Amino acid sequence: MQMKELDKKLKTISDNIRKIIIEVACSSKSAHVGSSLSCVDILVSLYFHQLKINQNNWGRRDIFVLSKAHGAMALYSVLKLKGFINDKTLKQYFQNNGSLPAHLDRFTNKAIEVSTGSLGHGFNIALGMAHGFKLKGDKRKVYALIGDGESQEGSIWEAALFAPCLGLDNFTAIMDHNDLQGYGRPTEICHFEPIMKKWEAFGWQPYRVNGHNFSEIISAFKKPHNGRPKIIIADTCKGKGVSFMENEMKWHYYIVTDELKEKALQEICKGI
Amino acid sequence: MRNTIINRITKEAKSNKGIFFISGDAGFGVLDEFKANFPERFLNLGIAEQNAISFASGLALTGYKVFVYNIIPFILYRCFEQVRNDICYQKLPVTLIGIGSGVTYAPQGVTHYSVEDITIARSLPNLTIISPADPLEAELAVKFSLSSNKPVYIRIAKSKEPKIHLKLPENIDKPILIKPGKGLAVLFHGSVGIEVMNSIVNIKKPIKVISVPMLQPLDFDYLKRQLKGVKTIITVEEHFVEGGLGSILADWILKENMHFNLVKLGIKNEFIHSIKNNAGMRDKFGISSEKIRTVILQEITRISS
Repeated sequence: MQMKELDKKLKTISDNIRKIIIEVACSSKSAHVGSSLSCVDILVSLYFHQLKINQNNWGRRDIFVLSKAHGAMALYSVLKLKGFINDKTLKQYFQNNGSLPAHLDRFTNKAIEVSTGSLGHGFNIALGMAHGFKLKGDKRKVYALIGDGESQEGSIWEAALFAPCLGLDNFTAIMDHNDLQGYGRPTEICHFEPIMKKWEAFGWQPYRVNGHNFSEIISAFKKPHNGRPKIIIADTCKGKGVSFMENEMKWHYYIVTDELKEKALQEICKGI
Repeated sequence: MRNTIINRITKEAKSNKGIFFISGDAGFGVLDEFKANFPERFLNLGIAEQNAISFASGLALTGYKVFVYNIIPFILYRCFEQVRNDICYQKLPVTLIGIGSGVTYAPQGVTHYSVEDITIARSLPNLTIISPADPLEAELAVKFSLSSNKPVYIRIAKSKEPKIHLKLPENIDKPILIKPGKGLAVLFHGSVGIEVMNSIVNIKKPIKVISVPMLQPLDFDYLKRQLKGVKTIITVEEHFVEGGLGSILADWILKENMHFNLVKLGIKNEFIHSIKNNAGMRDKFGISSEKIRTVILQEITRISS
């Protein structure tokens, strides 16, 4: 498929995912809408292009770990489009007697690989998986999405320091750098930059992309590991796709009312 | 106990290619054989406890049976949330081998003691807790963990612990009767068991002695049958007196509305500032053989009167 066509296809899927997220966020009255919207294009690039996930060859699938699990609505919505989560289950997200919590529980669905929620865990677990596969000569690839706020966790840097020694060229981390966390901006709270140099100094193969540009994301997936674990710093916009949510810290927490839902859906539909 | 456990895992690793061993920069002179024989299945993940536990979980998710080895505070306290979320919540086959139970490392200082680990570990569902008393129980503990596909925590002292049992007990998942008796029963877990054994030498009255290596889950039905004819229970542990075996039994006695007298011996729940070796600490906190003997004799008098 030509990049232009692929781009168009993925954009349509992303718009659909964003619509699902808005619907689910509104009906469930749950937070983290902005955090979910910022990583949609990354997840779509993974699940609708990059990852080898085949129901009929389940034991050979690539692994994706959502380490920034507060973006769970984005993953659930993607898994719905992929046919792993049905409509009824998704509608009961975050509801009494439903089966999907706001952070991930691997026993809820076979496509949820790892239980995550507390930051700075999924990244390290995913590295363990990558090492396990490598030892077994298993060619499966492992991907983990971390947040930029999450990268303040000491555990991230514990893993960053040692992972290159293992030559984990089957592992790719993607950082959703939307520069907004719960109560501030990573670039203001800590000495965030120069982030590329930091990871490079730790022995990683870093790339930087616009996290809403499919061709950039996909080409970064294809770039070489050079025998090292790879990290893609994806510059994103929190709340991407809905003008009044974009780059607004409050949309880490705010609830989508019926009125705002309609407004948001209209904007996303225009995009399609 | 340490060598018993490591040797058994090393032996098993020859035929079982699914065994992986992680050290958190501990094991000088102990893990060399495993490391030399199975370099690809051994990792020293350095002084990075959080990562060690999460990484172990990841390996377990790819089918490995993972053992993590470190001093107890660095396998359970520093990385508690990783043990909780990554191993126990996900119900993964990871065994934590914690060394330095109680005040084994005295007088290294409080940072290196583990006098509240049972309290903490008990709060974790899915986690089996085993506190072996001697190398024979340690042998059974590692055998149990090798056959288990769930999280296990094995709490051991260090090395050169004397044998308490004359022969290998049958099971580790039930309290082990060491000496039959009636009226008074002494229950213990861990390496302090030798103090209990020494405390009862030449006492004529038939005191029942039970080792309780598996603290979670504890086979209460079995224990209830073992305690038939017993009026007073003395618990002995190298652990805070509140939160360990004594507290587990207190909860159980209350819940079942039973009528045992319960005397709990253990370390007072306070930070330890005394500088003493392990024997000195045991004496200070009333869990040396002499101090235990005094309590036993008092309780015998009380029962008789």
